[in-house]
Amino acid sequence: MSKITIPLGPQHPALKEPENFMLVLEGEQISGATVNLGYNHRGMEKAAEGRTYLQNLYLIERVCGICSHSHTTTYITNVEELAKCETPKRALAIRTLFAELERVHSHLLWLGVAGYEMGFETLFMYTWRDREQVLDCLEMLSGNRVHYSINTIGGVRRDITPEQKAGVVQRINYLIERTNYYIKLALEEPTVAARTANVGKLPLDVAIERGAVGPTARASGLARDVRKDEPYLIYNELDFKLITHNTNDVFGRLVVRALELVESYKMIKQVLNDLPEGPIAVKVPMRIAPGECVNHYEAPRGEDIHYLKSNGTDKPERLKVRAPTLANLQSVAYMLEGGWLADVPLVIAAIDPCMSCTDRAAVWNPKKGKTEVYSWEDLRKLSIEQYRKRGVDFTRL
Amino acid sequence: MSDFPREEKIKADIEAKFGGAVSNALVQRKNRVWLDVTTEKLPDLMAWLKANSFDHLATVTGFDEGENLGAYYHATDTKLIVTVKVKTPRANPSIPSILKTFPGALSYERELEDMLGIKIDGLPPGRRYPLAEDFPTDQYPLRKDWKTEDYLAQQAALNTEAK
Repeated sequence: MSKITIPLGPQHPALKEPENFMLVLEGEQISGATVNLGYNHRGMEKAAEGRTYLQNLYLIERVCGICSHSHTTTYITNVEELAKCETPKRALAIRTLFAELERVHSHLLWLGVAGYEMGFETLFMYTWRDREQVLDCLEMLSGNRVHYSINTIGGVRRDITPEQKAGVVQRINYLIERTNYYIKLALEEPTVAARTANVGKLPLDVAIERGAVGPTARASGLARDVRKDEPYLIYNELDFKLITHNTNDVFGRLVVRALELVESYKMIKQVLNDLPEGPIAVKVPMRIAPGECVNHYEAPRGEDIHYLKSNGTDKPERLKVRAPTLANLQSVAYMLEGGWLADVPLVIAAIDPCMSCTDRAAVWNPKKGKTEVYSWEDLRKLSIEQYRKRGVDFTRL
Repeated sequence: MSDFPREEKIKADIEAKFGGAVSNALVQRKNRVWLDVTTEKLPDLMAWLKANSFDHLATVTGFDEGENLGAYYHATDTKLIVTVKVKTPRANPSIPSILKTFPGALSYERELEDMLGIKIDGLPPGRRYPLAEDFPTDQYPLRKDWKTEDYLAQQAALNTEAK
């Protein structure tokens, strides 16, 4: 059979962000794949050189819509290391809390996307509904759902009150119950097994060779987790398990993420129960002492690494950011080869490539000549009203 | 005696093995080792690191040092990060490829070529990364003498008149 090369992307219904895969097909089977990136390059490393350390904090938060806390924490760890700043213990604990809440929200999002890509849309609806619980936690604690902006140089911006703590624990208890159901589902539901087992294989030696990170690597049996290997924040005081799986396929990546959710819930409760007393931030001078350092961080998708060089002014000399998806995309080409065309969206989604989400809608009303901002409650009211007109009543939900 | 025996041992092992090629080796703190190496010895050193449990190349940082262009290779066993620095003259920047040892480094090496104009010997042909296809091939945005404002001024399409 003759070979045919087709492009998948950069704009494609199965992809959530611009990237291009050139697939060489023999019939329905893929015999070669190359990954092309760069459609979303925003020049942030260059932009960072022209901004102060504090301005960069808000720039770096926007590297990713989902790992926003991961990137700022890595960046700020570097800045504080160069400034020789003693960050208060309470601030470190709050950063850890946000890191784990972020992981929960990212993994639940991924479970939904995976459900959607495997044709199990009920799972997508369930997990995204439940994800609202953790987004509510983040909004309650920081005021924002996605870009929490909790970090500041020398500590965090907001403290946690006992009422907030109770609110988080209540929502986490609900999520624990739901996640146990998802784990049961993943392990027992034949649809899930049929669609994910032996799809997108990545053997252990290839995972090491291509530098896979995060849940993608751990699902290939590679016990790599920065939280365990080089504990940062307060991870050395927390009790959690490093989850690995040995099936090397999409099913393994599903199991790893589902079980990591349980570990994250455990950590969130531990942090909240033993929140150290004290200040939440210390003052750090605008100018950072000259020097260079490199730090890594276990983001929901894997190892995130930043290099920072300071020249003694209030602006960095060089900031290098390597997000986990870039490390994992080298493995995707391998996973696709030898597989089937119909599996492509699922395999790509299985490394959890980044995408952004946003909440509130701003609507320009030309009649009134002004912009109206709808809150979550307004949008919910509107949607219930819309459905009631069609004869469906959602008010009880 | 140092507080960091493991870090000191790796530093000493590399110095013993690569002798004159390695300089400025430094144990910065726990889990961080920094060293400079000559460009010729880079592939050998990376192969040695990989064989000695540093089998994950986290990333490569390109850096404009002025007279020289630098590339910093952050190799790690996920606990300890060894940063290997190479320097190459700005007039004729060139570094050998390390793809034989670390195939996953492909996009990092392309980035060095695209953003700093460091020629990587042994890099297979392929699409550029990360800059756009229509970006000029003789401009390197991460060099310090490249200014965003100058570039924007050259783009006629962006110079719309303010109303």
